[in-house]
Parts: sequence; C-alpha cells; structure tokens
Amino acid sequence: MDQVELPKPVKYVFNWGRKYSLWCYNFGLACCAIEFIAASASRHDFIRHGVIPFAHGPRQADLLVVSGTLTDKMAPAVKRLYEEMPEPKYTISFGSCANCGGPYWDSYSVTKGVDQIIPIDVYVPGCPPRPEALLDGVMALQDRIQNESLKDRIAGRRMDPVTLGADTPLALGESS
Amino acid sequence: MTEVLAHRSRALTPEETEELLRDRLGDHVQRAVVEYGLFTLWIAPEGWLAAARHCRDERLLAYDMFDSLLGVDAREEGFDVVAILYSTSTGNRLALRTRCPGGRDAPVLDSITEIYRGADWMERETYDMFGVEFAGHPSLTPRILTVDNFEGWPLRKDFHLAARVAKPWPGVAEPVELDEDGNKIERERSIGDAPGPYELDKAMAAQAQQVNAPPAPEVEEPEAAAVTEAAEAAGDDGAAAAADDTPADAAGTAGDRRKQQAEARAAKARERAEKAKARAAAKAAAEGGEAAPPAESAAAATQPAADAPEPASAPEPAPEATAEPAAEAPAPEEAEEAEEAEGDVDPRVAARRKRQAEARAKRAAARAGKTDGGDGAAAAEEATAEPAEPAAAAAEAAPAPEATAEPAEEAPAPEPAAEAPAPEEAEEAEGDVDPRVAARRKRQAEARARRAKARQERADAEGDEEGDA
Repeated sequence: MDQVELPKPVKYVFNWGRKYSLWCYNFGLACCAIEFIAASASRHDFIRHGVIPFAHGPRQADLLVVSGTLTDKMAPAVKRLYEEMPEPKYTISFGSCANCGGPYWDSYSVTKGVDQIIPIDVYVPGCPPRPEALLDGVMALQDRIQNESLKDRIAGRRMDPVTLGADTPLALGESS
Repeated sequence: MTEVLAHRSRALTPEETEELLRDRLGDHVQRAVVEYGLFTLWIAPEGWLAAARHCRDERLLAYDMFDSLLGVDAREEGFDVVAILYSTSTGNRLALRTRCPGGRDAPVLDSITEIYRGADWMERETYDMFGVEFAGHPSLTPRILTVDNFEGWPLRKDFHLAARVAKPWPGVAEPVELDEDGNKIERERSIGDAPGPYELDKAMAAQAQQVNAPPAPEVEEPEAAAVTEAAEAAGDDGAAAAADDTPADAAGTAGDRRKQQAEARAAKARERAEKAKARAAAKAAAEGGEAAPPAESAAAATQPAADAPEPASAPEPAPEATAEPAAEAPAPEEAEEAEEAEGDVDPRVAARRKRQAEARAKRAAARAGKTDGGDGAAAAEEATAEPAEPAAAAAEAAPAPEATAEPAEEAPAPEPAAEAPAPEEAEEAEGDVDPRVAARRKRQAEARARRAKARQERADAEGDEEGDA
C-alpha cells in the first residue's frame, strides 16, 4: 500500500468518500470552542459539509479541532488524544491561541501554538474566528484530502500545512 | 462541628469582631482595616492557625465557609497571604491577612487545611504562583497549576517572562491608531459621534450634534482610517454604479480587495444602467420626443452637473430651469465657475472636493431611488431633482407650466448618468474624509434629497391638477 499509488479513479472515489465523512473531535479549550459549537449548530451546520461533530472519542475520530488556548499543563492531554486517533487523521488549529499563542504570546504558561506538539493540517486565524472561517478551514482540508496520495500518507509524508488567509485575504465581511 | 448560634440579626459588627478576636488572640491581631471593601484583620503569622480556628469555632463568629486564599507580593517585605472567610449564618465576610515569615527567600506559613479542608488546593495554587510553603499541608506537589518541572514563581513581581526578554512588549501605553505612513491619527470625539442602533438614537444624536454644532473643520488628514467605514457606507447605500474604465486605485492607497469590491459593484451598476437606458429609450420612443442621449454621453454631461450643488452657485434664472435640457445645460457652466473659483486652491484639494461632491450626489440619488421603492423612472426624477437643486428651486419660485408638468421627461436620461460615474470615485472620496464629516455630509445629502422629493411631489400634484383641468 505504501509502495504503489492507487489507480486514479479508485483514488478519486476513495478520497471523495473520506473527505465527506470526517468524524470530528473538538478539543475545546476556550472561547473558540463556542465558535466551533456555533459552526456545528443549525445556522452554519457543518454536517452538510460532511463534518460529523462530537465523535464518541478520539479513537473514533478522523479530525481533531483544537480550538482555544492550549496551556503547557494541558499540552500532554492533547498530545495523547492525538496519538489515540487512528490514521489517517487530520488536525485543524482553530483560533490565534491554538495557532501561535495569540494574545498570550508572552505568558508563562501558554503553549505557543499547538503545532509545537502535534502536526497541523489547517490553521484558521482569528480571535476568535467566525464559524464561517471554520467552514473555510474544513473546505481547505477537504480539498487536500481529495488530492491526497495514500501512498505518501502511509509513508508519513505530509503535505505542508494550509494557513487560511496567508496568500489571499479572507473573503469574510464582503459587503454586497 | 460548629454549633451555629449566630444569626443575621445578631451578626457582629467589624468592631465587635475585632474586639472578640483581640480578646482571644491577644497581640496576634495586629490591626483591623477595610481593604477593597472587605473587613480585614492583620494577623501575626504565629497566630495564623489560632485565628482561623477561632473564626470558625467561636459561636458568635461562626465563619463556617472558607471562601478563598491567595498570595500577595509585598515587594521587599516578602509575601502576604490572605484568607477570606464567610459566615453562612450571619452573612459576614472577613479577610485574615498575614505576612509570611522568611522574607522573599523562603516564605513559610502554617497551613490551615486542618481547619478548612477547602484551603488545600488554594494553598497549592499559592505555592505554585508565589512559592509560599505551607507547613503542615498534606502535599504541595504535584503542582496544581503549572507543569511539574516549572521553574520560578510566575506571580512574583520579579518573575521574568522569557518571551518578553526575547521580544519587548510591542504595545503602546495609550491606544493610538497609526495610518499607513505611521502617523498618529488623532480624533476628537464629539457629541453624537456614536449613536445607538435604533432610529431614535440616531435622531437624538443628530439633534445633539446640531445643537452642539461643531466648528465644521475641513478635516482632510486622516485618510486611511475612514476607508472601511466609507466602503461600508457605500455598500449600505445599495449603491449603484460605476464605469469600470475609471481606475479603482487612483488614490494609490486602496488595496486589491477594495478594487475587487468596486469591480463587483461596477458590474452590478452596469446592469442597472443598461436597464435604465432601455427604459429611457422606450420612454423617449413612446413620447416621440427627442431621443434620449446614450448613457455614456449623458454621464459625461451630468458628471459635472453633479458638482453643481457643492459650491453654492447662484440659482439659475427660472426660464432656463424649466426647459427640459436645462437641468443639464447650466450645470457644466456652474462647474466651470466653481473650478475657476477654486483656481487658487491646491489642485489636489480641489480634486478631492470634486470627488466628494460627486459622491454626495451619488448617495443622494441612490437614497432617493431607495425611498421610492426602486421605481426606476421616479428614482430618476429625484436623482435629477437633486443635483439640479438650484434649478428646481428656481422652478418653484417661478412655476412655469413646463417644469411642473413634465418632470418625467427629464427623468430617464440622467438616471444612468447619476449612477454611472459613481462608486469607485465615491469610495475614494469617502476614503479621504473624516468619518464624522462624511456622516454629516451624508445627512445633508439626505436632507437635500428629502427636500427635492417633497418639491417633486408638490410639482406632481400641481401637474395632476392641471391635467384634470
């Protein structure tokens, strides 16, 4: 499996199926978790994008969303949770605190970014980001799942993380 | 444990509490003060345990609930520990405060966990944050707040934040805003600046502003600050229209994003302009009158016309105003006059004023269109009525039958004109203006539009009467 690429049509169908059934585990640590909940609730409703919230546990989850301020004290828990998840697993870092420490950049106790302990696939900036931003992040993740090579994945070669809004400004707040 | 005889009605006053505890503890009670609205007894560290025990067990005191315990950095004198107690029966709250022996190097204090079990974690936290050892505590480790291998005591005043050592605090003492060139933006707040969300609030704010009439400074400086707001305002107006051959970025300060927005709006505006053109053509054909000028040329013609109301130009003589093309014809002259008048002004300022005027005209037109439920022709009437205000005024003064009877005729052609040149310039123009000034101008424009509309309605009514006659 890690030696050969899947045939293209198979790969397409395979990835298509995976990207629309993301069981999602929310590691809610602070106010960003509220935005995550809003994104899962009826107005934004990310189940329509195939993100299934509230996986029963990390062992049943495909996607880990770390939303909120991660402290050094909490960091081992996140690390363990991530390691309990089965491959293939994906992570979204949601909010400034999870991305880089955010406003607590000089704190004695805050981890300066979740990526210091686990690999991150998509960074969603904002303090806190709007639920739409999470949807945007989910889309970005689904794009990369669709284009993913299982061979690379199994060989442990990850694609570079996506940072929303790094190349083009976010299309939020567009006045019509 | 505690036999509760205390009652709210018999709660001791702070003075009585102090007296009672002095009686029990002697010199261990050092002083009694009210700190931060909380009655505080300073206790000698030797009497710390006894004080807590008496507070809990004295029938008259009955401080049966342990509220919290915290540390205070007392600089060179060491550390204070404050325990806050509450009596559920009397409703009194009391703080016991002591200074730990051992100075800054090895602060130690007796643990009160044997009296109040709830103090356990509080003391662990205080140990984590301040490094105060509590003698007799079950176990201060593992650390409750910090990681186990954490070095230092983070809430001590002399604790260095590693991040701050590596990178100084980037903030500033006072919240100031910098524009793109790094200049400080200073804004004077005035009454009515921030109305509430409701119409009544806005009305009151407007009234307050009128009463407190600010000296209307021509604030030209804070440019970039207003950009977003102005852009929003333009969006709110539902606004119309732009010819996309005008470069969106003439000012050079606007970003790509604004450009894109402007283009999007321009596309929409073009659609509308085309519709309006079609209507105009149809109307002209129906009336068999002179053909409506194509939208572009109309735009060219009326763009200076939009300038007209801004420099307070002399009202035109009535007969000219009444004629159908008059609404357009006198305008360029006025504009020229205005430009001549401004000849000694800095050309940049002049250009900006011009843009502002156009923006105003456009906004007013858009608003008029909105108030009229989006009926194109009627909107156009008002749109024309607005820029040609002096003319309309003149028409009112000397009501000539043509003018009153046929406002509809002059309507269709200038409508695209009023819209076509607008939003990009408008956006930039607004971008140049202080938001307050912009808001005021917007209100003025609205007022003008209202007046024009009222006039128009009157004129219509008269026209109807004539028609009936």
